Amino acid sequence: MLQPSLFSNQPQGITLSEFNTRIANVINGTPSLQNQWVIAETSDLRVVRGHCYMELVEKDARGTTVAKVSAAIWASSYPRLNEKFKAATGSDLKTGMKVLVMATATYHSQYGFKVVIYDIDPNYTIGDMERQRQEILNRLTAEGLIDMNKQLPWPVVPQRIAIVSAAGAAGYGDFMNQLSNNPYRLQFYTCLFGASMQGAQTVPTVMAALERIKQHQDLFDCVVIIRGGGATSELNSFDNYDLAAAVARYPLPVIVGIGHERDVTVLDYVAGKRVKTPTAAAEWLIQLGTNALAHLDELQNDVVAAARDTVAHAREQLGYFTSMIPASARRIIDTNRIRLDHFTTSIPVAANNLIANQHTRLQRAIERMTDAVAAAMQREQQHLQALDDKAMLLSPVNTLRRGYSLVRVGDKCVTSSDQLHPGDTVTMQFADGTADATVK
Amino acid sequence: MEENKDMTYTQAVTELEQLVQKMQDPQCSIDNLTAYTKRSKELLDICRKKLTEADEQLKQILATIQQ
Repeated sequence: MLQPSLFSNQPQGITLSEFNTRIANVINGTPSLQNQWVIAETSDLRVVRGHCYMELVEKDARGTTVAKVSAAIWASSYPRLNEKFKAATGSDLKTGMKVLVMATATYHSQYGFKVVIYDIDPNYTIGDMERQRQEILNRLTAEGLIDMNKQLPWPVVPQRIAIVSAAGAAGYGDFMNQLSNNPYRLQFYTCLFGASMQGAQTVPTVMAALERIKQHQDLFDCVVIIRGGGATSELNSFDNYDLAAAVARYPLPVIVGIGHERDVTVLDYVAGKRVKTPTAAAEWLIQLGTNALAHLDELQNDVVAAARDTVAHAREQLGYFTSMIPASARRIIDTNRIRLDHFTTSIPVAANNLIANQHTRLQRAIERMTDAVAAAMQREQQHLQALDDKAMLLSPVNTLRRGYSLVRVGDKCVTSSDQLHPGDTVTMQFADGTADATVK
Repeated sequence: MEENKDMTYTQAVTELEQLVQKMQDPQCSIDNLTAYTKRSKELLDICRKKLTEADEQLKQILATIQQ
């Protein structure tokens, strides 16, 4: 309805409600703005009196918002949609999620423009969460963090355990029961470092707990991060780069048991040991203990067997030597007997040879002596002959034959006339006889 | 025995394993056997004790931290 104007040249205005109604007629009646699937990111999400309000935004690659609109899920459909979303993604609908929503643009002349969400496809969000998780995993891998905690050496039996969990959580109770009621009397020393294991406080409280444990790290063999027990789990908090990097770089080996059979979080990938449930974490620790006990039994058996073997071996060696002594003695006697026999037979032979040699030498000596004697005899005979010849020449007989005579008085030869006195009877020896004469 | 008090399980079980290896060596002298066996028994006791007997002192320390 046109308002009366005081000035004829004044433009004709309409009321705002009229104007808004026109807007409403355009927007609310446009089929392309109704029940349209829209891809967006949630922002500033809050629930007020059962209605869920949020901003839907679109960002470019640099994170700058390039489109933005206010949206709502009315209380009539929010519980159903959120339940459906949570069942599929494991998380309530919250800020920062990529979503695929069925949106209808509405305009209310009193409340203005709003996009109303009537449906949501959680598969899109799951895909996006998976992509985000993959990006975190890729980054952890690229930075060399993904296997860092796995490379820490485990003690043979981790008995001193720092637990990061919520004090009242069913998972913590399961873990403690399992450990303390182990039938092998294995001792475990636990210390709880409380943290919120779900919701927005998960990452900061778990990281704070890890920091506190680090201050006492000499007292612990490992850290166990556990949660669980609920039918549905809000595990998205554990798909967090900062938390995963802190666990990867942690100076103690970390066991992560936060999920269920089907859930794997980023934290599971970086954990030194990943188990599915808190109970499984306890079972694993107990298993290490029982392995160690079994190993000790084996070592004990080895000690007994080795001692027995060494004694048996020594006894066997002794027996061998005992049996060897007579044989050795016999061998020594035999050897010496053979040597003796050898001497027995070789001595006469050697003696005979010696005698024969000496005999030959003697024979030769005799022969040489005989020859020498004969030669000497011959020489002497020749010498005698020469003497004889000489004697013959000098013999008085020969002289007598030549006309000389030998004058003797008695037995004495007269060699001087002084020896003779008148009247002496002398005997004159001639070559052929004698004649007596008287000196005058 | 004094030094045994401070031994960790890993140290004790490592020494035990080395000892068993020495005993299993065919060259192991019977002269060493008594000493080796005695030490093995000690180490086995230490290891079993570490696994199955409570260390009250450690429990108390951890209780303090948890508070």
